[in-house]
Amino acid sequence: MNGVGLFLRMAVGARALRSLVAFPASRRPLRTSPRSRAFAKELFLGKIETKEVFPFPEVSQEELNEINQFVGPVEKFFTEEVDSRKIDQEGKIPEETLEKLKSLGLFGMQVPEEYGGLGLSNTMYARLGEIIGLDASIAVTLAAHQAIGLKGIILAGSEEQKAKYLPRLASGEHIAAFCLTEPASGSDAASIRTRATPSADGKHFVLSGSKVWITNGGLANIFTVFAKTEVVDSDGSVKDKITAFIVERDFGGVTNGKPEDKLGIRGSNTCEVHFENTRVPIENVLGEVGGGFKVAMNILNSGRFSMGSAVAGMLKKLIEMTAEYACTRRQFNKNLSEFGLIQEKFALMAQKAYVMESMAYLTAGMLDRPGFPDCSIEAAMVKVFSSEGAWQCVSEALQILGGSGYMRDYPYERMLRDSRILLIFEGTNEILRMYIALTGLQHAGRILTERIRELKRGRVITVMEAVSQRIRDSLGRTVDLGLTGNLGVVHPSLKDSANKLEENVYSFGQTVEMLLLRFGKTIVEEQLVMKRVANILINLYGMTAVLSRASRSIRTGLQNHDHEVLLANMFCVEAYFQNLFSLAQLDKYAPENLDEQIKKVSQQILEKRAYVCAHPLDRTS
Amino acid sequence: MSWVQAILLARGLVRGWGGVCGAALMGAPFSQVLPQAPQGLHCSAAAHKSKWSLVPRPPESRRRPVKALALHEELFRQAPGGERDKASFVRTVQNFEQHNVHKRGHVDFIYLALRKMREYGVERDLAIYNRLLDVFPKEVFRPRNVIQRIFIHYPRQQECGIAVLEQMENHGVIPNKETEFLLIQIFGRKSYPMLKYLRMKLWLPRFKNINPFPVPQELPQDPVDLAKLGLRHMEPDLSARVTIYQMPLPRDSLGAADPTQPHIVGIQSPDQQAALAHHNPARPVFVEGPFSLWLRNKCVYYHILRADLLPPEEREVEEIPEEWNLYYPMQLDLDYARSGWDDYEFDIDEVEEGPIFAMCMTGAHDQTTLAKWIQGLQETNPALAQIPVVFRLAGSTGELLTSSSGQEEPPPPPPEGQEEDDNVQRQQQSHS
Repeated sequence: MNGVGLFLRMAVGARALRSLVAFPASRRPLRTSPRSRAFAKELFLGKIETKEVFPFPEVSQEELNEINQFVGPVEKFFTEEVDSRKIDQEGKIPEETLEKLKSLGLFGMQVPEEYGGLGLSNTMYARLGEIIGLDASIAVTLAAHQAIGLKGIILAGSEEQKAKYLPRLASGEHIAAFCLTEPASGSDAASIRTRATPSADGKHFVLSGSKVWITNGGLANIFTVFAKTEVVDSDGSVKDKITAFIVERDFGGVTNGKPEDKLGIRGSNTCEVHFENTRVPIENVLGEVGGGFKVAMNILNSGRFSMGSAVAGMLKKLIEMTAEYACTRRQFNKNLSEFGLIQEKFALMAQKAYVMESMAYLTAGMLDRPGFPDCSIEAAMVKVFSSEGAWQCVSEALQILGGSGYMRDYPYERMLRDSRILLIFEGTNEILRMYIALTGLQHAGRILTERIRELKRGRVITVMEAVSQRIRDSLGRTVDLGLTGNLGVVHPSLKDSANKLEENVYSFGQTVEMLLLRFGKTIVEEQLVMKRVANILINLYGMTAVLSRASRSIRTGLQNHDHEVLLANMFCVEAYFQNLFSLAQLDKYAPENLDEQIKKVSQQILEKRAYVCAHPLDRTS
Repeated sequence: MSWVQAILLARGLVRGWGGVCGAALMGAPFSQVLPQAPQGLHCSAAAHKSKWSLVPRPPESRRRPVKALALHEELFRQAPGGERDKASFVRTVQNFEQHNVHKRGHVDFIYLALRKMREYGVERDLAIYNRLLDVFPKEVFRPRNVIQRIFIHYPRQQECGIAVLEQMENHGVIPNKETEFLLIQIFGRKSYPMLKYLRMKLWLPRFKNINPFPVPQELPQDPVDLAKLGLRHMEPDLSARVTIYQMPLPRDSLGAADPTQPHIVGIQSPDQQAALAHHNPARPVFVEGPFSLWLRNKCVYYHILRADLLPPEEREVEEIPEEWNLYYPMQLDLDYARSGWDDYEFDIDEVEEGPIFAMCMTGAHDQTTLAKWIQGLQETNPALAQIPVVFRLAGSTGELLTSSSGQEEPPPPPPEGQEEDDNVQRQQQSHS
């Protein structure tokens, strides 16, 4: 197919899609009942909001056809024309590749169609992400452009701002960048040094400061910049608050450093951006003056879920490539594929891919529901799980290849380098774990306030209740949260796994209550505890997602659904035991679950700022 | 009766050898065995006269043959060229051996050599100690039968051997295989020097690294370097920066009595700097000192810049800003926290102290010198210019030496370049 034909088809596809996107908006409310509560938050109370996650979100047949029609050419483009190796070596995405991405409409996937974008739903965005994820540099460039760069305008921009900027951003004529990080400020908003001061005439803000590690910093024309401004508080005091601005490169005073030399995603452009007395018109304030913190938080929270499908797409490709090798390479008159330890790696990759795919599409489906569902915890969980899965799976894939995997001739080392950044950007996994745990604990803590107060005060009835509940639990009570059984939402062939999930959720609720009782609000200081809480929650969400998806697959009779059942059961059993271990650790106090020892060791090391043990060859005499 | 006692003694001694003190049977500490021991064949009266313990004193000079002393002193005095180092020490020992083919008076010589070791700067040298032990004639003092083994065989020589080991112990020199080999050759396996050796071998390595804040073996001679070392030694924060505010004039470093420009070396960590910047200018800060710090055998004096603890009502509660962390809440909006009965920390009564902002070591301990330090500090701590500084220096006249007995008052500043040698003092005391 020649290029022109491709574009024509694309245009048709895009137009058809647009008409479809407008349609579901009116249709969807009929499909789902009014929104109840967020799924992840309810898990903290030991409940499963079945309605939120069962059945697995579906798209209609027409929608699916349209997506597939759209996906085809993009996939073809990525497999045939994108040379990831060259992009990596040259550290630059070629101009014609960028042009083609623009003509495919990939720069405006989530821009509403009235502004010239494709207006894709989250589910469709996730589907396209699977393909874009085949090349990490392109994926990062696109994500920086639309998942964070122009997201601010969509989320918080006024009508005029949208009309002014979105069309050109959607077409790719302008590229956007998100400027938040500073040398002294990672996630600490208080130490932002960039400052915007109102000019004398009151029509401009004068912006000065530098931002570092800005993806697309060298390419972008439109920047979402966060800077400190002085805001008069309601009580009359003057405070420094963060404000978001839309800054055009043409405003003047915008310069950028040379592209950073990075470990992975070398094709993406990352550099410093300096603003020197840039005059920003007052109408370019995004949201309210002083309201930049919320804008930043919303942007960051909204963009995370897509990593799940992108990584899953990459992993599927990876499985194909390594399977090819494992089935052809012969050692000891056997194919590699006949060795148990090699087979195990494929099972692991398939399982991870399956789980993160399920989590990503479940979250996308939740986000596509009407209203403004708050799925930030779910999105963060998808991000954590998929980034760690990516790192682990790519490393295992490289292991299958053995020595060849280490060579630059093969793509595996590049994929390994590329996937490392996933654990770091969009909020490091450590920070997101804190977010997941704290947000949930805050929710549970508020609801349980009364009960905990009664327990603390020693109200007899409540205490007796708690004690008798504990006794009943210890006598082997079976937990039934309504997933299985006659009217259960989970298919009977997944019954065991569903029971395991129920059991985990129940004891998780108990543990959360115990933790709140023990630590209260001081739990903020207990990062090791919160890490475990987050790990459990991620596992629970993963279990729910695979159970939901596998149940649907069986019931609708999808191809190879028995394979899905295998994967789902496998993951659930593994996650179940991991959860039991974490729960047991949480039940124990610091010395028994090693927290104290961990802290002591690190304290001694950090005091000396070195490894403290004597050398094994050292002697005293 | 004496037979019974002898048998008991023998058993006690055997037990004592096994590491268990023979006291169980004797009802008295093991060391008390000795004086009761019948005078052995070669027992010297001098050794048992004054002390109960096995650890000997060098025989007092008046009891020693004057002639022998003169001879050995002569040997050490002969050290050629006035150079006193390891080589000349070894040469002296060799000289002794050559002059005395029969090793007459070797015990006296070894005692004398032990005393002289410091002068030659070889008191930490294991090879020298081994060389000294090598002076003993071999095989002569080894017990040859049970009786000899029970009663101290050649006690004077054994004591001398122990004295060598004791001096090694005092200087933290850990004996090696060669020492063991020599001791076995000289005194045999079951002798008191060997027992001492085994105990040293057991304990010294365990104690060698027991100090979590090790001080280097050789201290720098330059007072500025020594001050740097001392300040680093006291400062727990590794990011702290040492600043030399004033270098001593060459005259000063030579130890002139009236230094016009003493050295000023200070240390301050970034945390201290930040704390000083936030200090309320209405409250004064104090320069206090001098306080003493011992580094091995040297005593140095330091001053601190500190403030009083804020009264509780003036302390600012650290507020968590509302919009601080972009990714997760820094605090939970709950009204319950860890309560008292959930507190499984030990109950420790902690005394809160006021903040210390900086430390310094100077060549002189007067106000003018310290004022220069404060001036230097103002360059990096502009806030200090607004804060009143009160000098609370202990009198430099030396009254405080006697004034306080129970309180920990700072000692008077020593004269310039003072070095106190505790070992010397101790030795003097013990000899007196």
